Amino acid sequence: MRRSQPERGIGASLMAMVSPASSDSRPSQTRLPGTPGKPAGKPVRPRVVLAMEGVTKSYPNGKIALRGVDLVVPEGDFVFLVGPSGAGKSTILKLLIRDEMATKGVVLLDGRDLARLKRKDVPRIRRKIGIVFQDFKLLPHKSVRENVAFALEVTGAPRQSIGPVVDRVLRVVGLTGQADQLPGQLSGGEQQRTAIARALVHNPRLFIADEPTGNLDPLISWEIIQLLLRINELGVTVLMATHNAEVVTALRKRVVALEDGRVVRDQTEAAYHRED
Amino acid sequence: MIAFVAFSLRRAWQGLWHNRLMSVAATATMVLMLALLSGLIILLTGLDATLKYVEQEVQVVAYVKDSANPQDVNLLETALGQMPQVTEVSYVSKDQALKDFLSRHPDEAEVVNSLPTNPLPASLQINLRDPNDYLDVATYLRNQSPVDRVLNIKQTVDQMVTVIGVLRAVGIGVLVVVGLIVLFIIVNTIRLAVVSRADEIEIMRLVGASDAFIRWPFIFEGAMVGLFGALITIAVLWLGQGPITTVMADYFKVLPVEASATVGRDVALVVLGTGVGIGVLGSYLSIRSYLIR
Ligand SMILES: Nc1ncnc2c1ncn2[C@@H]1O[C@H](COP(=O)(O)OP(=O)(O)OP(=O)(O)O)[C@@H](O)[C@H]1O
Ligand SMILES: [Mg+2]
Repeated sequence: MRRSQPERGIGASLMAMVSPASSDSRPSQTRLPGTPGKPAGKPVRPRVVLAMEGVTKSYPNGKIALRGVDLVVPEGDFVFLVGPSGAGKSTILKLLIRDEMATKGVVLLDGRDLARLKRKDVPRIRRKIGIVFQDFKLLPHKSVRENVAFALEVTGAPRQSIGPVVDRVLRVVGLTGQADQLPGQLSGGEQQRTAIARALVHNPRLFIADEPTGNLDPLISWEIIQLLLRINELGVTVLMATHNAEVVTALRKRVVALEDGRVVRDQTEAAYHRED
Repeated sequence: MIAFVAFSLRRAWQGLWHNRLMSVAATATMVLMLALLSGLIILLTGLDATLKYVEQEVQVVAYVKDSANPQDVNLLETALGQMPQVTEVSYVSKDQALKDFLSRHPDEAEVVNSLPTNPLPASLQINLRDPNDYLDVATYLRNQSPVDRVLNIKQTVDQMVTVIGVLRAVGIGVLVVVGLIVLFIIVNTIRLAVVSRADEIEIMRLVGASDAFIRWPFIFEGAMVGLFGALITIAVLWLGQGPITTVMADYFKVLPVEASATVGRDVALVVLGTGVGIGVLGSYLSIRSYLIR
């Protein structure tokens, strides 16, 4: 149910990506595609996809997971969220999908205050976010195709529209050949790519990954990171919580470091050295 | 909308099939409880019919003095017929009383015939609208000159009414308890189904499924358990209706024949409504905690 302004259909962009011409071009030289409505050359200040201001989160058991977190992420950013275990990374991600609510402070997602969101509007907001986890969260009795289609079925997508979308996202993650296999018959990397495909079906503006490579060996991890980078190049904002210092340091992206519920560092083109 | 219902039904069916064993167990429990429920309904219906019959049969019997003037008796009969509490008055003459007695006790014929005179009094038999009016009418009769004495059946009627009232209250109490037990079992069955699919529910929430899409498949699942349970119960009752009717007729003697058809239909409707209702309510209660956040 897309109904906003001339939205950058990542559908179209994803199509472009799988066509030979664009997949040949090297990412670093490619302009951000998918902004058809905006005149080229004129600099446009990027919209803010998410903003947190003075966010504190204490869980019902009294545990304070976040203490006055400020975080602004403009559209198109690729942000690593790092920090020792228990620092509050997952808590931030849970606030964004409104799985949890901030105890204090404001969380804005795409300009909307999540605290003031009506319950019935929560699902629609969640469709603007694609999310993947360390444990993939695939349904074991459904094939790759069915797992991806599930996300469309349960959000009321018209039946005949499901097939084409599924084919498209499977092409993006390179799983067309494994579409009819069950998750148990896939490698960890393929399972995570299935999860990524599922997270893409609603053309999200924001892609959230909570330790997506936590269960994968280094080589496969790089594959997944490459995939996230490609998704980011299509204009999708990516927020990734990770412990993987090697990846973070190599990519020189924006790094937000948390410690004990506080943002202790927020740098662009940064490195990350684990202390824990 | 149709797509949504189709989706929900499909998933409900998948859910039932996926947890076949549990679904069968839940349905069996449902059948057991619904059978108990129908048994209670039938029993209560029988008791009700008996009570109605007895209430109908409550007659005030006033024996008329042999010496009474027939005209006075006639006047009294008319007066009684005009009382609002009275539905019917009939006069039973001495001869009629003797005939009735002999037809009931043919063995006594010799003894009775050997008597010099007819010992049985004539009587007025008065049917009442409401058995509670007995005292009014009886008091009135005792003060009338042609009346010898009024048969005291008030006590018997009172006891009967009390006993049936108690039985009815107990029956309804049992019904409520049984209903709660069924609800409890269904809630737990559906909750198990919900728990066994917690992963699916979590994924549905994450990909932005609305509450309706999460809730309705389970509601349909509960409704289906209720529906199957009800249909099986009705089938069993249908097969057993012959013996049941016989037992009812034997035991209660009074169950009106034409009532059994409506009783059957009522029981079927109640069973269906209760089954589906409890299934739906149970699912609703089970899934609630997974949605409210
Ligand atoms: N549902 C919850 N109830 C109570 N406390 C919680 C809950 N979830 C998280 N916490 C606590 O909040 C703190 C932050 O947890 P969080 O999961 O955000 O950490 P994290 O940075 O993601 O850690 P990790 O790197 O191990 O995943 C921890 O101390 C954790 O124990
Ligand atoms: Mg975490």
